[in-house]
Amino acid sequence: MDTITRRQFLKATGAGALGAAAMSLSIEEIANAAITRPLPLGTPILVVVTLYGGNDGLNTVVPVNDSIYQSLRPGIAYKPEDVLPLGENLYLNGSMSGVHSLWNKNQVAIVRGVGYPNSDRSHFSSMAIWQSGILGAAKTGWLGRWVESQPEDPLLAISLGSVLPPLLAGNKRSGSVLPLGGLKVPNGSLASDCMKLGIESRNDNLLQTMAARSMRNLFAVSSDITPILKAPAPAAPDLPTAIGGNAGGDTNLSQQLDIVAKLVTAGAPTRVWSVSLGGFDTHADEKGAQSILLGVVSQGISKFMSQMRASNRSKDVVVLVYSEFGRRVRGNASDGTDHGTSGPVFLLGEKVKGGFYGEQPSLTNLKNDDLAVTTDFRDIYASVLEKVLSTPAEKILGNWKGRTPLFN
Amino acid sequence: MATIAERRRIARLVHRFGFGPRPGEFSTLLAGGFDQAAEKYLNAPLSDTFADFQGEPKVSDVGKRPAPNSANIVAYATEKRAQLTSLSFWWLDRMVLSEHSLRERMTWFWHGHWATSYQKVDDALPIYLQNQTLRRNALGNFTQMSREMVNDAALIFWLDGQTNTVKAPNENLSRELMELFTLGVNRYSEDDVKETAKALTGYKVDKSSGKVTFYPKQHFTGSIRVLGTQGAFDANSLSDFLVARSDCALFITERLWYRFISSMNPLSDLSLTSSFASRDISALVKAIGRHPALGNPDNSMVKSPIDWLISSARALSITPSQFSNPNLIRNYLDLLGQRPFFPPNVGGWPADQAWLSTSSAQYRIQFATLLVKEGDLTPISSLAQNKRIDALADWLGIVEWSSRTRMALNGATRDPARLTLLALCSPEYVVSA
Repeated sequence: MDTITRRQFLKATGAGALGAAAMSLSIEEIANAAITRPLPLGTPILVVVTLYGGNDGLNTVVPVNDSIYQSLRPGIAYKPEDVLPLGENLYLNGSMSGVHSLWNKNQVAIVRGVGYPNSDRSHFSSMAIWQSGILGAAKTGWLGRWVESQPEDPLLAISLGSVLPPLLAGNKRSGSVLPLGGLKVPNGSLASDCMKLGIESRNDNLLQTMAARSMRNLFAVSSDITPILKAPAPAAPDLPTAIGGNAGGDTNLSQQLDIVAKLVTAGAPTRVWSVSLGGFDTHADEKGAQSILLGVVSQGISKFMSQMRASNRSKDVVVLVYSEFGRRVRGNASDGTDHGTSGPVFLLGEKVKGGFYGEQPSLTNLKNDDLAVTTDFRDIYASVLEKVLSTPAEKILGNWKGRTPLFN
Repeated sequence: MATIAERRRIARLVHRFGFGPRPGEFSTLLAGGFDQAAEKYLNAPLSDTFADFQGEPKVSDVGKRPAPNSANIVAYATEKRAQLTSLSFWWLDRMVLSEHSLRERMTWFWHGHWATSYQKVDDALPIYLQNQTLRRNALGNFTQMSREMVNDAALIFWLDGQTNTVKAPNENLSRELMELFTLGVNRYSEDDVKETAKALTGYKVDKSSGKVTFYPKQHFTGSIRVLGTQGAFDANSLSDFLVARSDCALFITERLWYRFISSMNPLSDLSLTSSFASRDISALVKAIGRHPALGNPDNSMVKSPIDWLISSARALSITPSQFSNPNLIRNYLDLLGQRPFFPPNVGGWPADQAWLSTSSAQYRIQFATLLVKEGDLTPISSLAQNKRIDALADWLGIVEWSSRTRMALNGATRDPARLTLLALCSPEYVVSA
């Protein structure tokens, strides 16, 4: 499982997310709903960054001075001179200098040892749990359920890429997806003919209802978004050139974040964005590969945050970075690591109260050779739902009591 | 005239167990009734005159990658690209041209099951060899298929089997072998993953030739404990052991149900697993194809991009490799998120709602615009305008038009290309209703 990328990794069961029939709307109603209504300044916006493949947490937030860390993974352990100090005897991967400078401004929360009970080391089960916010089989994503808790608007939650991640799947309504190139919608008589195919019919079964809806949304979403996409990306004026130099080339993640930056800047009424990067399943030759990927994440996010500062949205935006699991403490013989349990979750933004949360899993007290889970991921979701999306967590996560006090 | 229920069952048979009807085929099947259609669709001979006619793809051992900036690197890269193109279109052509499309359909199913990506394997020959293994065993015995697959160069390389040694096993292949290939998730323990990894040690891959060599010295020879059984295992005996478990019958039945009956309504009839008692794939496929659930209106499915392209091409008599610009076919499949030999991950492709995004709607319209330009539209252009809408449903194997789509089609009966385009993009065609 090596080449997991953005629009990919859709656990088959996770994407088959369907429930009761959707309500019927006319083209006119949808067209009205899609008229640009700029999001008022001060409305919180969530950007979810999914790292597919299982990011190695121990080489992200590194206990570099711990002799057990050094001895259990000799081929892939970092040296003290390679990493950036965070405090509490922990260090950030050296390729994440952009995130590190935000950390120094108190704009990064690192939640340590995040996972869920009885860790499942399957990419699919684990990602399904993280994306659904529910243990066990769930057909909807936690943000898909959030979409359903809100008034219908195809622009409310948007995933970059052409396939819907389970994260945004709802029972009746889901988020929209936006390919990197933007939508090219037919015009003239072809458009009016195709729009007719978007009307719901009483004979439609559930999937046909959704097929018709995707056609309708194509026209609704595109009329709002296309002109915005044609505009250049907002500048990142206060970014140090060392970070802005884009070393390592333009990546898909940075393209995704560029589009998000454009749309947020333009005032799109979107509260939730989903972007992703794959390739973290580092069973072999991990060190170089992971460090390149983390560099991409760090550069992409710090550039995005700079763009947000330039467009007055930096107080509104919260970025959440997670992966489906951390990796085994002990390295394998291929200079990689196998699937493990807990890992760190990052939250970034000016709303965020910077610093460490949760207990660092102890290397002397491994469970079955794996790190303990010290924070349940739903604590984070619950706090994000309440403080960023202003939605009672019970509506989305059921009766979940845990919270992480992440926000100012 | 066939009832709607009969039309539905036959339409699903043709679209799910095959790749959609050729011109005129659906009407013929309707006239003969479901049993006759099932007899034809659920039996596939080993050879297929139409699909075999085109010969083999141009793939060969390209050797190791020359050093960067060396003189040969351009020729090497060009050759590799050409081989991948040849292989990809060879398979698309087979799907479109096959007379008994069940074998290609099942090969496609198994490709999504043992999902291996060229992205990492990066050589056409091992991918082609795997594809032939899947085709040869597509309707054969699963014990044999699984044995051949645990010895398959592309699969071993894809899941890091070649780095799995006695000294420190790499668990990637052992985990997926149980989770995704034979048993299903949570039907084994984490200890089983660690133990079975030892059984899979010592297999080395020569990637460009697709050869696998077993090195006894790098193989763990001790006894391991797997699912409560103690013993010495190698890849073959481990495969046999896993496939013989009752969870394997359940899992493969679940997977076939998921792709052929419904991804939303889970397997409801456990007695189907008995058809897989001897691990005979063909027997299980027949049982599923004749199961009453195939006629249940609730069990609709979205056509994946490959389903949609291939069924459109069969109806419009388009051979993918002969398309005026075949690259466009590859590009649109890429944009729609489903290219043969490039599954997103070892779990294969998603289903249903994942293919119903706004961007898929957009690409489907653009893709259909191209297809109707090059396709043969005589099945409707030869008819009077007032006959075209009903003929369109029979041509494409559609159960019934909704009033919505009828209204949309009504405005386009003068223009066969527009009419066909709208039909291909309609909810009734995008969904195997």
